[in-house]
Amino acid sequence: MRWGWMRREVAVADPVLQVCDLSIAWCGPDGRANRVVDGVSFDLAAGGTLGIAGESGSGKSTLARALLGHCRAGSAITSGSIRLDGDDLAALSEPELARRRGRLMAMVPQNPLASLTFHMPVGRQLEEVLRWRAGLSASAARLRAVELFGQMGLPEPERLARRYPHQLSGGQRQRVVLACAIACDPLLLVLDEPTTALDKTTEAQVLDLIRRLRAARQGAMVIVTHDLNVVADICDRVLVMQHGRIVEQGAVGTVFAAPREAYTRVLLGAALRVEEASRASCASRTAPGPALLEIAGLGFRYARPSLLRRAPLGPPILDNIGLTLARGEVLGVIGESGSGKTTLGGIVTGLLAGQAGEVRFDGAGLPGLAARRTREQRRRIQMVFQDPLSSLNPRRRVGDAVMRPLRLFHGLDQREAARRAAALFEDLGLESALLSRFPRQLSGGQQQRVAIARAFAAEPDLLICDEITSALDASVQAQVLDHLAAMQRRQGTAMLLITHDLSVVWRMARRVAVMQGGRILETGQTEAIFRNPANPYTAALLGAATRAARAGQPELVDTKG
Amino acid sequence: MISLVLRRGALSLVTLFLLASFIFFATEVLPGDALDVSLSADEIAMMPPEVLARRRAELGLDRPILERYTSFLGGLLRFDLGRTIITRAPVADIVAMPLRNSVALAGLTLLLALPVALAIAMAAAQAKGRLLDNAVSGAAIIGYSIPEFVTGLLLIAVFAVWWPLFPATITASTDDPLSVLLAAAPLAVATTIIGSIAYLGRILRVGLIEVMAADFVERLHLSGIPRWRILWLHALPAAMIPGLSAAALYAASLVSGVVVVELVFAYPGIGAELVRAVTRREVHVVQAIALAAAVCVVLFNLAADLGIVALDPRTRRS
Repeated sequence: MRWGWMRREVAVADPVLQVCDLSIAWCGPDGRANRVVDGVSFDLAAGGTLGIAGESGSGKSTLARALLGHCRAGSAITSGSIRLDGDDLAALSEPELARRRGRLMAMVPQNPLASLTFHMPVGRQLEEVLRWRAGLSASAARLRAVELFGQMGLPEPERLARRYPHQLSGGQRQRVVLACAIACDPLLLVLDEPTTALDKTTEAQVLDLIRRLRAARQGAMVIVTHDLNVVADICDRVLVMQHGRIVEQGAVGTVFAAPREAYTRVLLGAALRVEEASRASCASRTAPGPALLEIAGLGFRYARPSLLRRAPLGPPILDNIGLTLARGEVLGVIGESGSGKTTLGGIVTGLLAGQAGEVRFDGAGLPGLAARRTREQRRRIQMVFQDPLSSLNPRRRVGDAVMRPLRLFHGLDQREAARRAAALFEDLGLESALLSRFPRQLSGGQQQRVAIARAFAAEPDLLICDEITSALDASVQAQVLDHLAAMQRRQGTAMLLITHDLSVVWRMARRVAVMQGGRILETGQTEAIFRNPANPYTAALLGAATRAARAGQPELVDTKG
Repeated sequence: MISLVLRRGALSLVTLFLLASFIFFATEVLPGDALDVSLSADEIAMMPPEVLARRRAELGLDRPILERYTSFLGGLLRFDLGRTIITRAPVADIVAMPLRNSVALAGLTLLLALPVALAIAMAAAQAKGRLLDNAVSGAAIIGYSIPEFVTGLLLIAVFAVWWPLFPATITASTDDPLSVLLAAAPLAVATTIIGSIAYLGRILRVGLIEVMAADFVERLHLSGIPRWRILWLHALPAAMIPGLSAAALYAASLVSGVVVVELVFAYPGIGAELVRAVTRREVHVVQAIALAAAVCVVLFNLAADLGIVALDPRTRRS
């Protein structure tokens, strides 16, 4: 049974790993020490799996590296101990650590593509670990490498071993890195964000592999992740970090069902719970208005770079897309990376032009590229991007960024524009004092609200939001989305909400379109589709996104016995 | 892979064709013709018009531009670079030996400078931010920014005047075997090597430091792979890639750009020949040397491109 491993005794009887009062500090350029890990203590037993959860900057990756006795240049362990197999890693010299790394403790790093040597076939990279760490001969290492690749579920291991990292898929690279880490059967395996770079289907397969590896080995595992769904899926204990400290730790079922700390509740608040009523459906809405955006038979391919003018086109990125969006309606577009959802947004905004099909806006045909649209059409369609910092000019004050569309589209003078900008800031919960700041002087959440204010300054009829919360931490996401929803309702703007995060759609959009491989799989009411997905792909996406919520349900955690 | 090499080769040929055309039009067509350029204003004023016209006809300068252009290109294909205006000697003969000498000087410089630069860069990258690295970086900036005639004169002052170990100028002649020539030119070689080590060392050091901070190096470090293996087998090939193009341009500039060194030491190379041709206004020789320099740039770039393809599998698109 899937949750059977949670029956294991939670109290740590004979710990493999004992971290005691560990602090790690970065020495800033001004000479001031900045603690990123602060007084962290925990134990981990053989066979146990600990999830370290937290937002970016919580110190979880620094802690993960310290578990191998490694601190990046500029940082150092300032106090505490890391006892693994009897030794204190914090006190060992670099050569002593090098002897233990790979054999006693191993790491699966965050980004498998960047973590593999790009100019060396992957087989040789695994053989290197086997030869230099496990002490095998060259021929034995070659045989063992192929065997290990096979165990990792890699297809045609002999042929695959001769390929370079960039020739493998994301899931295959993750398996190669995993194989390198477990090559010497370490006592402690640390996995840093093992599924972040993967799409949901591959993530499920890799997690399955990690689960099988754990069953076959006696070692302990630490999984560092920002995704509570992964913690719920695979860990038996969880440790929640914030600002370098442990906020809460305990058995996964207990913590997820009844989080004691406010911060844990905020993190869990972002989890998707489809059994509760969606907020978007609660928002009272009259019958949908006339169609604002109509897309029919839309197709898009990139041109292959070529010296010839009539270059052949690449594979289809979008294929026969059909969508309608009513005035004032919010439509969620979900799908994984590569599904074409961002391309779709780019075509509606006029950043790209489709080769086939038609896009109609307010009853009239919409020219492809923004340069060929009328000023009025450009004003009525606005966009908010994923990364607010790179979409705001770093050399201009954010007030200027918001005032520009006011002056350009509405012809306001400086005073009137400044007044409107201040009003927009107020609507989005930003103090008007921030108007004179530069983008870098604002937090990520504030930057994104400035970008939203800029988009609304044009008083658009259609707003395209492309992954606007994925660069933000869970606690900030909710705030930004609440302000966005309020603005949208007040101005009656239609919205195309492009995201891979199902909980964002659940919160914001009454209707949803599911995309995969450049096609729309299904469209319909969000509540209906999320509760009873007809398409197996949608069901898989939902299954992955609701694990954290399910782990908090009593029937699933009632496993202590 | 083979098609890629062929494509790059074809592209190089196109580049060479365009360069040859540019050189032809720039030297022959633009302000005056070859005769105007090779004679001074006084000489032209002194000469009766019919003599000038006869000279033009002899040199073929009275033919239409397009015809001259095609015969110039046709000559190139047969390695016929024309004859000098004054002595009517074949240009190819004048240029061949100095070119050989310059290529030999550049080649020997690279051969000696590359390993030293590499060793220095690796030592500096390993000690990043510490005394050794700072000393090496400082020395490289100084070595790179001191003009070659200063280095050259300094070397002459020290090793030829104060402590007469080597000759100050080269006594070997243009057509001597390379071994004789290079053996007679230790100070010239030393001058080019000092600049090269400084330049190449800087490029390689930056590349290495960047690569040593890469994720794959951290993964290897955390797997307990020995440091020397990480450095030699993983980091070095990766660090060479961005340096290759810069090194290729530098190598090409060594062939055509060591004029100063050649003049300081009286080294019989292409740079010294170029200066002589310019003062004598021998347009065809200037053309030939410009072309030879262009060929060097294109060839070294091609070599660097192919080297990058060999080192970086990501550039090998089938």
